[in-house]
Amino acid sequence: MNTSPSTTAPTAAAAPRRSRSPLELAFRHFLRNRAALVSLVILGLIIIACFVGPLFLSNDPTANDWGAISIPPTLSGQHWFGTDELGRDLLVRTLAGGRVSLEVGLLGTLVSGLIGVAWGATAGYIGGRTDAVMMRIVDMMYAIPYMLIAILMMTLLGRAFYLVVLTISAFSWLDMARVVRGQTLSLRTREFIDAARATGVSTPGIILRHIVPNLLGVVVVYATVTVPGIVLTESVLSFLGLGVQEPMTSWGVLINDGAQKLESMPWLLLCPAVMLCVTLYCVNFVGDGLRDALDTKER
Amino acid sequence: MLAYALRRTLWVIPTVLAVITVCYLMLHATPGGPFDTEKHLSAATLANLNAKYHLDQPLWKQYLLYLNALLHGDLGPSVRYVDWSVNDLVSKALPVSLGVGGLSVPIALVIGVLLGTAAAVRRDGITDRIVMLLGNVGNVIPPFVLGPILVWVFAILLKRSDGHGWLPAGGWGDGGWRYRVLPMALLVIINVSSIARVMRGSMIEVLSGNFIRTARAKGMPGHVIVLRHALKPALMPVVSLLGSICISSITAAVVTESVFALPGLGQLVVDGAINRDYTLVLGLVVLTTVTAVVFNLLVDLAYAWLDPRIRY
Amino acid sequence: MKLSHSLTAVLSAITLTFAGAASAVTVPPGTSLAAKQELTRQVPTEVESLDPAHIESWTGDTIGLDLFEGLTRISAAGAVVPGVAESWTRTAPDTWVFKLRHDAKWSNGQPVTAADFIYSWQRVLDPKTGSKYTILLEFVKGAKAILAGKAPLTSLAARAVDPYTLEVKTEVPAAFFTELTAMPAMAPVNKATVDKFGDSWTRPGNLVSNGPYTLTDWEPNNRIVMVKDNNYWNAQHVVITKVTYVPVESDETAMRMYQSGQIDYTYSIPSGIYAQVSKQFGKELQTGVQLATYFYSLNNSDPAFHDPRVRQALSMVIDRDLLTSKLTQAGEVPMYGLIAKGTKGAAVYTPDWASWPMAKRVDYARGLLKAAGYSDAHPLTFTLTYNTNDLHKKVALFSTSEWRTKLGVNAKLENVEYKVLLSERHAGKVQASRDGWFVDYNDAMSYFDQLRCGGVQNDLHFCDPKVDALVDQANAQLDDQKRTALLTQAHNLAMSETPLIALFQYSADRLVKPYVGGYQPTNYVDQRASQDMYLLAH
Repeated sequence: MNTSPSTTAPTAAAAPRRSRSPLELAFRHFLRNRAALVSLVILGLIIIACFVGPLFLSNDPTANDWGAISIPPTLSGQHWFGTDELGRDLLVRTLAGGRVSLEVGLLGTLVSGLIGVAWGATAGYIGGRTDAVMMRIVDMMYAIPYMLIAILMMTLLGRAFYLVVLTISAFSWLDMARVVRGQTLSLRTREFIDAARATGVSTPGIILRHIVPNLLGVVVVYATVTVPGIVLTESVLSFLGLGVQEPMTSWGVLINDGAQKLESMPWLLLCPAVMLCVTLYCVNFVGDGLRDALDTKER
Repeated sequence: MLAYALRRTLWVIPTVLAVITVCYLMLHATPGGPFDTEKHLSAATLANLNAKYHLDQPLWKQYLLYLNALLHGDLGPSVRYVDWSVNDLVSKALPVSLGVGGLSVPIALVIGVLLGTAAAVRRDGITDRIVMLLGNVGNVIPPFVLGPILVWVFAILLKRSDGHGWLPAGGWGDGGWRYRVLPMALLVIINVSSIARVMRGSMIEVLSGNFIRTARAKGMPGHVIVLRHALKPALMPVVSLLGSICISSITAAVVTESVFALPGLGQLVVDGAINRDYTLVLGLVVLTTVTAVVFNLLVDLAYAWLDPRIRY
Repeated sequence: MKLSHSLTAVLSAITLTFAGAASAVTVPPGTSLAAKQELTRQVPTEVESLDPAHIESWTGDTIGLDLFEGLTRISAAGAVVPGVAESWTRTAPDTWVFKLRHDAKWSNGQPVTAADFIYSWQRVLDPKTGSKYTILLEFVKGAKAILAGKAPLTSLAARAVDPYTLEVKTEVPAAFFTELTAMPAMAPVNKATVDKFGDSWTRPGNLVSNGPYTLTDWEPNNRIVMVKDNNYWNAQHVVITKVTYVPVESDETAMRMYQSGQIDYTYSIPSGIYAQVSKQFGKELQTGVQLATYFYSLNNSDPAFHDPRVRQALSMVIDRDLLTSKLTQAGEVPMYGLIAKGTKGAAVYTPDWASWPMAKRVDYARGLLKAAGYSDAHPLTFTLTYNTNDLHKKVALFSTSEWRTKLGVNAKLENVEYKVLLSERHAGKVQASRDGWFVDYNDAMSYFDQLRCGGVQNDLHFCDPKVDALVDQANAQLDDQKRTALLTQAHNLAMSETPLIALFQYSADRLVKPYVGGYQPTNYVDQRASQDMYLLAH
């Protein structure tokens, strides 16, 4: 059931326990989930390392050390993660690339989440003609071959960072919209919605205050499916040669380069790949933890 | 319900029209044409080529010519593959994509639902974590790394007596089952991760519902609860995903087709776009559009089956 | 191997004016051949067409050469040897007379005659055919007018003196004409077949060809299968009985398919891992220089590159030895001019500064830049554009680093899609861009169109009438040596003005199974016919 604030008012006169808001309950639940907690910490460390780390390192992601081409990781020398075939330090490139990938992933998910939830909830709740039109638009956008649009957009508009994010989010909101609409279709037949309508809550009010909070579980899970999806889409775009432009780099670019040279220079693949996998696993576990925590039916 | 389905099917026409127009405009807006070659063509040669493919006509006329041919079921000649028409190319690539991508979806569905349910039922326990760890592999390792790993293990490391790989490393050959196994495995691994995660979340939510508590209170055994009562409502978000998974596995499996050198639809789209083969690209767009509309309709119909409260 | 090599060379020399069978493949005596002679070759992309009028890529040429045969053909070692024509004479600077052999047959048994060649050439030039690759045919007199629609097909200067004698007049004297007639664009097609089947005459079952193999299966993007044609005049010397071509776009995938035993012979190897591949595959890695140049095209009319001193300075400071030995590492050869080593008709250009130590080159280059008006306060700035590709990215990063560190030049990088690069460069919108040139035929003339004032291929906007005059003078020569000397002079003159920055000559690196015999590394145009190969017992 929906735990709206009005139902948790303490009844007993001398009750020492103060009431907890749903958010606080969620927070406490999350803390109990060890896997999610550990993942959150690791994720935090990775984010800090990627955004702030390069400032503390002496190497520049674009500097070529021609004297030290393709050296494997050595803790003693200057290049802890080794260098690539152009003499660029891998550690600093992995961190710089991580920053780009994380930004793309988070921004992309945020954008597609916002659009997707708004679109899907509205379509699902209002139903009828509006729903039909909105979902037909979704159908139409689904029908456009993604690779084609990616190629055309990148070719036409260039490969600035925000354009990469735009191209990716332009289509990833579609899935969210469908999922949200599906859930809304079920939700709107429930009694509490009837109750809300009976008390005169406006349509946007119902959508915002009653539908969306009950969707959060699915949305959060789906968002945590989306983040890795977007990061991987960016890497696939790099694989096709359409990702971020030099001198910017991303995990996708690094992994793609490294995968080709696996036998001769394994560190080129392993370092960014391990970072990517750990990050995405952490996102998954945090997502699951959030979903569990936000589950309003939790006892 | 039938009326609803029919009405939705009719929507194919305006959808196809809208999508084709958008893609047509974008294609022609993109710099570079089919005859921009490293070795430039002389003016006379270029003129002859443009005349042959009606590219010397004004855009609106080309558009109408194309639509007219489309009405007759003719998707036009391919500029990049001179000896074949678009109809030929699409009809040759479609069975490949269906046979690999299409078949991989039900497999991924079954495995994903099983994994997700198992994790949900034993949530927060060690089973949950392990299942999620394994299930998420496809969501965490890029496909262009995972594919080659599969190939390396099954086609290069493991060898038959004649020295050939146990499974082929790529290609389609005569279309035998051997060529399908690894690409299907890759697609299944990728799709399982999305399905399992969504299933887990959804199943957890459903299992904590009141009606489940009632069933448990009545003494119903666990597996009956899951199968008979929880499964259908829990499948809703998964089914929502299925439409897009089908479409991407069939018409947009670009990385899989590249890694395994499969003659499928995804590769045709990329080839067509890179070479500015307008008719080929538009033909594929028509196919993708029809597929998308049909699959999304099926998904919506499935909603009604899964949740009897939903009416059309 | 050595014995058959010199034998083939001697034979080729004789057959220029004498009748005789040039052997397809000479298997060294004592070699045990495999029982199954079936070869699988990888090509980098699906072929654009099997119709000689539409073949224009390396892939199309390679497959086309197995199916069709022109007046001449290219041997395993890259020399011109008789094909359908058993002998020929150059009766005038612009006139060639080919004597066709009487036993050349189509795959349906009909004889191949001079009329077939005339029909095919007219067909390529017919505006209605819409052929892309007309540049070889344009060497025949009358071709250009036909292409422009201004003259009838019959005005082409090729006539059948009798069914087995073909007389051709060229537009300008072309000493290398027999190199052109070896290519599929100038191969004959069977008129009756084209008339009967129209656009689908190239389908397996319909296709009638005159080469060593006939088409039995064609699945686009999947495979092309052909089997030995017993009607081929030299069928007795063709050892391989079945050839399968597999189009694989990804070099990595091709290498994996090679390792799993599906491909006998790849097109190339993945970029950047030459050393690793060499270690892993040893002798299976075949390396050979190609007549292909990797260079940076400079827009000579752009203010940044208008001054030849600037262009020369930029060219001087790039350490091509470091580039090829440490970075690209695929057996490439450093180059300073457009013409590649192994090209017939002109020598390679090597400026005297190529042998200076790098420090001296940098000093001199700095001096040049200063004289041109650039300094630290006012640095040279331009954009280097390249298309998406691992190798191009690496070379571009290296080059801009060299310019930046040695000359203080502010060179920005721009990565665009391939077609965009081509169209923008042709429109004169890029400053410096990565370019490449692979010859159409083995002669220096294949390069000069890029340097000719106002030439169709001239994206450099380079123009020196003295160079053009020397080229025209060279082509009027009948004496090969004089011609070579003049062309070399023309090339040197052009290159001394540094219209482009040549970096290296491509090498054809590929994996070839040890049981594939007949592969010669000296085939600079990289046209290797399956009929010149055989499979050893393995």
